[in-house]
Amino acid sequence: MPEPVSNIISQMPRLRLAALLLFFLGPALAVYSLFSIYPLVATMALSTYTSDPSGARHFIGIANFQALLGDALWSKPFWNAFRNNLIFFAVHMCVQNPIGIALAGLLSLPGLRLKGFYRTVMFLPTMLSVVIVGFSWNLILSPLWGVAAGALKTVCLGSLFAPWLGLESSALVTLSLISVWQFVGIPMMLIYAALLNIPDELIDAARVDGLGHFRIFLHIKLPLVLPTISLVSILTFVANFNAFDLIYSVKGALAGPNFATDILGTFFYRTFFGNQLQLGNPTMGAAVATIMFFIILVGLCLYLVLVQRRIRRYAF
Amino acid sequence: MANLRIEHLNKRYGATKVLNDINLNIEDGEFVVLVGPSGCGKSTLLRMIAGLDGASGGDIHIAGKLVNALAPAERGIAMVFQSYALYPHMNVRKNMTFGLKFTGVPPTERERRVAEAARMLRLEELLDRYPRDLSGGQRQRVAIGRAIVREPAVFLFDEPLSNLDAALRVSTRVEIANLHRMLKSTIVYVTHDQVEAMTLADRIVVMNRGCIEQVGRPLDLYYAPANLFVAGFIGSPAMNFFEAKVERVESGCARVAGAGFRSFELSAPSLEVGDLLTVGVRPEHLGRGADGPFAVEGVVELVERLGESSFAYLRRADNRLFVAEVRGRQTPTPGERATLVAGARDVHVFDASGLRVSTQNEA
Amino acid sequence: MSGKQRARSFSVHLILIAYSLLAVGPILLVVMNSFKMRSAIFGAPLAPPDATTFSLIGYQKVFRTAHILTYYSNSLIVTLVSMALVLLFGAMAAWALTEYRFRGSTALALFLSIGIMVPIRLGSVAILNMMRSAGLNDTLTALILVYVAQGLPMSIFILSEFIQQIPKDLRDAARCDGVPEIRIFFEVVAPLLRPAIATVAVFTIVPIWNDLWFPLILTSSDTTHTVTLGVQQFLGQYITDWNSVLAALSMAILPVVVIYVILSRQLIAGLTSGAVK
Ligand SMILES: Nc1ncnc2c1ncn2[C@@H]1O[C@H](COP(=O)(O)OP(=O)(O)OP(=O)(O)O)[C@@H](O)[C@H]1O
Ligand SMILES: [Mg+2]
Repeated sequence: MPEPVSNIISQMPRLRLAALLLFFLGPALAVYSLFSIYPLVATMALSTYTSDPSGARHFIGIANFQALLGDALWSKPFWNAFRNNLIFFAVHMCVQNPIGIALAGLLSLPGLRLKGFYRTVMFLPTMLSVVIVGFSWNLILSPLWGVAAGALKTVCLGSLFAPWLGLESSALVTLSLISVWQFVGIPMMLIYAALLNIPDELIDAARVDGLGHFRIFLHIKLPLVLPTISLVSILTFVANFNAFDLIYSVKGALAGPNFATDILGTFFYRTFFGNQLQLGNPTMGAAVATIMFFIILVGLCLYLVLVQRRIRRYAF
Repeated sequence: MANLRIEHLNKRYGATKVLNDINLNIEDGEFVVLVGPSGCGKSTLLRMIAGLDGASGGDIHIAGKLVNALAPAERGIAMVFQSYALYPHMNVRKNMTFGLKFTGVPPTERERRVAEAARMLRLEELLDRYPRDLSGGQRQRVAIGRAIVREPAVFLFDEPLSNLDAALRVSTRVEIANLHRMLKSTIVYVTHDQVEAMTLADRIVVMNRGCIEQVGRPLDLYYAPANLFVAGFIGSPAMNFFEAKVERVESGCARVAGAGFRSFELSAPSLEVGDLLTVGVRPEHLGRGADGPFAVEGVVELVERLGESSFAYLRRADNRLFVAEVRGRQTPTPGERATLVAGARDVHVFDASGLRVSTQNEA
Repeated sequence: MSGKQRARSFSVHLILIAYSLLAVGPILLVVMNSFKMRSAIFGAPLAPPDATTFSLIGYQKVFRTAHILTYYSNSLIVTLVSMALVLLFGAMAAWALTEYRFRGSTALALFLSIGIMVPIRLGSVAILNMMRSAGLNDTLTALILVYVAQGLPMSIFILSEFIQQIPKDLRDAARCDGVPEIRIFFEVVAPLLRPAIATVAVFTIVPIWNDLWFPLILTSSDTTHTVTLGVQQFLGQYITDWNSVLAALSMAILPVVVIYVILSRQLIAGLTSGAVK
């Protein structure tokens, strides 16, 4: 919470202050509470119910959760989606963030020309819809079109090509990489911004001390942007455990082949809305959403306790 | 135009006391300057007069009216900020008239006031420009103009010149002094700069740690500081202090001795044998050869030459440094041994609690 | 420049150009091939369209079979209205939270930060029920309400940072001038928040334009689909018609790219302004 800036308020009559606050905060709080917080709470409440064939709802406590985590009918797809989601996240952490850091480091080199051009071009995919990106890559990687195969052939790696998106073993990683390709712009930009905030004099001082660009990056800049990197990581975590669009638009609600690309978002959608194989089950869907909520919450708490508190921020 | 009365004013932030029982009476048309070290509460006092900060206790009267509960705009004040605080998205004219809209000044009257202020401050050419297209000095004048058009009873300035370069500061200082002569309004002015304080003020208020140390005319503060703090704060370089002790008292005449200077006689009836004192002498009052009761000897260690005069740092017998101003072309050379003397009127004596000891030498 | 420096600068540019190609290559490929005949799409996918291979058949088909213009206007309405409300309500709330000290302001800030970290998507089940019972199902209003709720916390967070950068003296000067509190916000503070719009846009508006989830859940008829959902459904139906698929993709890509290129300077300035730390 920012430090309060105005003391004048302490002199203001109670009623006038209340009226002002209502005027300024009222609209935002009303919309936010009604369409964001209330649905979250209502969803959690709904997760403790079940509906019978007639449509009536009955309270059943934590039975939905017991089924999700223990009953093979529900728990197998759930744990499968959870594991896949972990892999999805791991690929982002191991590929997206290092590439983002490296690109930001290159972009922030002093005296680099065409900086603006590179920034604009490399951030472009992030602006596009996941649906469009997913589908475009779907076409490009399709053996029918043969663009990817052809491109590999020109660099003499033709034999490496496989229909990656179609194979159970590689579909998930391929989709993760497509997502990385799209979103690498965000870590790049945030870290780039943090790098720009480092005062030039600090870098000059290191140069005078005889450090080269690479050493400066490794020993001076990187430690100083660590808070941003950790922020990027937690943003990635929340986005990944909430992802849906890409898998749905490339693989559909069934997240094939054979659920190999099923993550929590698609599992939630299937449970809630149903699909060719099953009927929609809103109460069970609510239970899945509640579990996702707790996964994100646990992630956030771990981050706050383990990472955020240990990271030192430096004022320039 | 109005007088300003502050009574038992207090300000606390949580447990920290920022202002402590401030009492101050400012006459109609008086130019009062607040000085004091950084963080002593000058801005806080000014903001409380303006109504921007609420008081934790005490009263403020402007023009005889209790204004504690009034909003800033209702107090008849205008404030000029250190950062100028010009609205960046309004041109100079709009900046000056913006506030008038809300206090019910009719448009023709607004125009008249802006024209008059612009003429007074030589802003006519700049009325349609935006703040970003103005120089620092011009922005400062616009900020003052914005205060003038409100025709306030009291002007409040918070370090208005500190963002200007040295030459501009001098010329703007002169302008503010002229302005005060023309408008004859009450002004409370905060500054760090002693020269500003000495030249502009009718009276100076010296503050320290949330308390008023002394209120007085500039020369009174210089020649008769009420306590050690004021003595050390007013004047540059600061006054030299020597620890001393009363050795003997004979018929209202005390003999004062201490390390580093020759003991001398002081006609101060209040002193008693054994009293611990601090003797203060300003560098500019220490001279060679002149006649006086106070004499101190030292070896020149360092000389700062300013042209018109030089500051000599001398090491005295008790191994501490003191400063003397030496006028003229001849500057002392390091290593030289010198004896410096000050006249009776230029020797200030303070008792153990730091308060001035009145001596008959002053008379 | 010494030889060594030149070599290093060359290799830096080489890496950056290579990555830039990787970033725009796929987009270029799709757009380029959308202007070609089917045979050319498969025969020489990497060649740009020329006089003999140029064809607009895909676009004609898309216009004939999909209500692409309706989708665009839906997306525009939803995004612009949401953006206006997110900015207005967000700035007002940010102002109150940063400027006024009142009991519970910290708790309120915490309450709002839930929305930054927990995706509103997880409340979809209840949102759908609510919209159904309010009769807002399958309307753009439903989408707008949800998007405003989704965008507000982040925009309040970003705008608070901007408001804190506005010098305190400025508001105090306005108060000395007798400007009423509400007009201080609208006439002194709000005009100075213009640079923040770009930052808010990147973090809250772009996701709204691109969203698939809520249109999928809350809209069911063709007349309320947004571009993202409309194109997604079209792609699913005509998956084997490469001309149409590529054309539909390009039509979703091109407007965004054009607007992005025009505004990229502001957008990137907004991103790098340091307001998000
Ligand atoms: N909002 C606040 N909360 C707590 N303490 C504060 C607050 N505002 C000011 N202070 C404290 O009040 C004291 C006086 O501050 P003030 O700004 O009046 O000093 P000043 O004399 O104007 O200093 P300067 O010459 O540096 O401008 C300082 O010690 C400051 O730390
Ligand atoms: Mg101050």
